Amino acid sequence: MSIKIKGRPISKGYAEGTALVCREPIGFNFGVNVHNGIITEYNHELQNKSIKDKILIFPHGKGSTGGSYVVYQLARYKTGPRAIINLNTEVIIAIGAIMGGIPVVDNLEVNPFDVISDGDYVKVDAVNGIVEVIKRNEV
Amino acid sequence: MILTDEEKRMLEGEFGEPVQKAMEMLVAIGDIYGAERMIPVKSAHIAGLSLKTHGTAGMEWAEEMARNGAKVKVPTTLNVIGLDRSRDLGLPVDWCANQLRIERAYECMGCYGTSSCVPYYSGFIPRLGEHISWAESSAVVFTNSVLGARDNREGGPSAWASALTGRTPCYGLHLDENRKGDLLFKIEVDLRDIADYGALGSYVGRIVGTKIPVFEGIVNPSLEELVYLGAALASSGAVAMFHVAGVTPEAQSVSDAFGGRPYDTVVITAKEIEEGKEKLTSARERKVDYVAIGCPHCSIGQIREVAELIAGKKVNENVTLWVHTSAAIKGLAGQLGYIRIIEEAGGVVTQDLCTVLGNPEALGVKTLATNSAKMAFYAPGSNGLGVWYGSVRQCIEAAINGYWGPTV
Repeated sequence: MSIKIKGRPISKGYAEGTALVCREPIGFNFGVNVHNGIITEYNHELQNKSIKDKILIFPHGKGSTGGSYVVYQLARYKTGPRAIINLNTEVIIAIGAIMGGIPVVDNLEVNPFDVISDGDYVKVDAVNGIVEVIKRNEV
Repeated sequence: MILTDEEKRMLEGEFGEPVQKAMEMLVAIGDIYGAERMIPVKSAHIAGLSLKTHGTAGMEWAEEMARNGAKVKVPTTLNVIGLDRSRDLGLPVDWCANQLRIERAYECMGCYGTSSCVPYYSGFIPRLGEHISWAESSAVVFTNSVLGARDNREGGPSAWASALTGRTPCYGLHLDENRKGDLLFKIEVDLRDIADYGALGSYVGRIVGTKIPVFEGIVNPSLEELVYLGAALASSGAVAMFHVAGVTPEAQSVSDAFGGRPYDTVVITAKEIEEGKEKLTSARERKVDYVAIGCPHCSIGQIREVAELIAGKKVNENVTLWVHTSAAIKGLAGQLGYIRIIEEAGGVVTQDLCTVLGNPEALGVKTLATNSAKMAFYAPGSNGLGVWYGSVRQCIEAAINGYWGPTV
């Protein structure tokens, strides 16, 4: 059984894949290696983990506005997430994702941290603003 | 957001992919900040053009947009880059080639390749109340505060999006109610030069963050002093606007600047200015091997001042002296003989480039002296340089002596 949740499309597109959940904001400028998608920020929840090809769930971006270009580079080098789900997307993430064509949805009608866990299979329809979650044990 | 028919057609792709992307960006920003509609802008200024910020992927993105027919709809200027297009400064060849490709891509879109953070020194001057979409934090704070134009702190891509569509989402400093002061700074010290104004801006920027400071007691400042005050506020903080009572156009008086609202007061004395200067100083040893003037880019008056200080003297053989300005100002400075004076002394007047976004560290320099609070703030992180901060006279003395401070 899957759960369908409504949200607000920020950057249009469609993608599906495995969830990676991060409760900390992510600063992309100087915070991730664009050649392999591994988070490099010291003491970050995702430090040394790769965001490549994941459906990445995190609260919002932080730090330098140059981060938009980094999100774009991740898309270009195919080292970034397939889609992003935020609590509240801010401008750095929104702009970089639109430049790179990474689908982004935010403001879900239920808190994504309550219903999505690492390893769940997630389908992100960022045209209509619908997120579908298939729990890991049901995949 | 409520969009006009034309804006909807932009969003649906009727005017091509670049315009569609641009409108998507603006709608996303508008949604995030709760804007109800778009407003037309009269001009744009695109920043973040350094290879340090764009990366080669950003460069390829700009080239792809240019190939796909991106054209600007309003007069659009380009910010400072990491290269001097008029001469070989000894920077790495790959760096220069890629930097040039970025600049050319945006010029193909119809932008003016001004390559300067002070487009207002060469005729791009928004008027009071005009809506614009300018990036470059020092230019944002200048146009809002000193000219009274209306601009948010745009980044490179959002200013680009406005350039292509002629629109920006209506929120923030585009609205009257958000342009009033938040905190009063009473200046009880004589501000003598640009370095004092920069130290003040740096000190206050750290206190106010994104808020709007109001200054009382700044008397008859020069244009350059206001530029350097703003640049410092916008680098140590994220200030997009300030008022100077009796000086800037939206502050006939202190109470006018606050729009009648109550406010708290902070007193600034010589102690706070000294503290501002100390915080900007990060050098460990007195030996100086790099002196840079002009962040924001020098006005013609600032170049003349350097020429007067250095005329007939010689820059120390271990020191590189760069004076940053735009191609436009450099043309005039050459005509007037200032460049010959500075270059005969062993200095270099650069165009297009600046220290922070350029790559002077590739020349092997370690310790910088500057009179720019903005450069002093960014150079340790962006260039890995230790910094001495002081007046232009102290900086030129360091260039001649090869060390900071009084003769040993």
